Amino acid sequence: MKSISLYRDNGTWLCRVHPFTKLMYIAAAILCPPILGSLWAYAAAIVVDIIILVSAKSLKRAKNLIIFSFTIILTIFIIKGLFDAENATPAFAIGPAVFYKEGLMKALRTGAVIINMLLSFSILVLTSKPEDIADEMERHGFSPRLSYVISSVFSIIPQMMGTMDTITDAQRSRGMETEGSLGKRMKAFIPLITPVVTSSLINTRERAIALEVRGFGGKGKRSYLRTWQKHRGDKAMTISLAILIILASIWRVIVWLI
Amino acid sequence: MEGKNIFRTKFDVASIVLIPACIGINYIGKLFASALKLPLWLDSIGTCLGACLGGPIIGGICGAANNLIYGLTTGDSITLIYALTSLFIGFFVGIMARAGFMKSFPKSLLTALVAGGVAIVISTPLNIVFWGGQTGNVWGDAVFAASQAASLPLWLSSLFDEIIVDVPDKIITLILTFIILKALPDKLTALYDADDEVERLD
Repeated sequence: MKSISLYRDNGTWLCRVHPFTKLMYIAAAILCPPILGSLWAYAAAIVVDIIILVSAKSLKRAKNLIIFSFTIILTIFIIKGLFDAENATPAFAIGPAVFYKEGLMKALRTGAVIINMLLSFSILVLTSKPEDIADEMERHGFSPRLSYVISSVFSIIPQMMGTMDTITDAQRSRGMETEGSLGKRMKAFIPLITPVVTSSLINTRERAIALEVRGFGGKGKRSYLRTWQKHRGDKAMTISLAILIILASIWRVIVWLI
Repeated sequence: MEGKNIFRTKFDVASIVLIPACIGINYIGKLFASALKLPLWLDSIGTCLGACLGGPIIGGICGAANNLIYGLTTGDSITLIYALTSLFIGFFVGIMARAGFMKSFPKSLLTALVAGGVAIVISTPLNIVFWGGQTGNVWGDAVFAASQAASLPLWLSSLFDEIIVDVPDKIITLILTFIILKALPDKLTALYDADDEVERLD
């Protein structure tokens, strides 16, 4: 069955880095630029994201993740450049449409925020297994119920997608049209989704019973199926990233005070 | 037994199992919507179902967990920001359902309006902060561009953008939720009924 997770173990160092270290990196990459406030900070964060992705041989896959955002970033540039309320200095004109500097700068900032966020998250998403994240969260004191929810989603969705294909085939063979005008497609939605949803909800009943029988609600210490191989430098890296965020905040406060 | 409390939640195995199922339903809804090329998201059917079955707390958890899990694992990190919107949609739909507003079709339309209103109130500021006011939906953004061109304030244009996108989406979502809820067998819905009394033999 096809998993919806984008994780793939390509054997590079990044796959062995602890998920929490990657989460800390995401926090640093996303928080530091707005704290520092400069566009250059965004540029720096994006460059670091790209260096990490290249070294883990994952840039190509990350590219697929961010490519969808380019259309929206383009429309942000067009709408802000043309119509933003603070527009005053014309930058350039294409035919009758005049683009303004203020709006374009705003759009550049929004675009940088989006790209930086997508890239830094793709570092975690492409190189960490969701089940590992869930396991590690449980080991660090999160509720086992939470980690069940996370890992269960990944086994339920492929199952539901299988049901979805079956239902679609069944309804098509009965002559239901899934293509054509918007009205037709709207009408097709209900007979397609209702059986999938109903059956998956009915399945929850049996799953609940099965889990209960296996001691899901039980209290007491639990053991783990998988163990995490420690990677050198995880702790040092996490701490230095935290210090980076604190330093950026201190710098911000000092700039305010002066 | 104490009086009827709409926030009462059962945190038993059945409710915990409901959460991943609802998250999966959200995903399937989105998948079908894009397979049929519908101009709607339809990605909160599961959250609304979870809210109607498990109450506001389970609904809120379904909503927030939905966006957090997809954001952290499928690369769609933009959805992380909207975890807040999903949380409140689940919460308020749960309250409406417990207050009896999912019992008949006209009442469920009222719930849809509440869900749409919640989505607008929470999403609009998020859109302004993160996307400069746009939603990424073609129709909504066309309205945004038009109202910006008419030099309306940013928040108003962004609000129009959200209304165009979210209100029809939530109405269709809640209609579907209503249809599905009616189709569910009683032995399933009874699992989540928080007001039932358990008779013990011991």
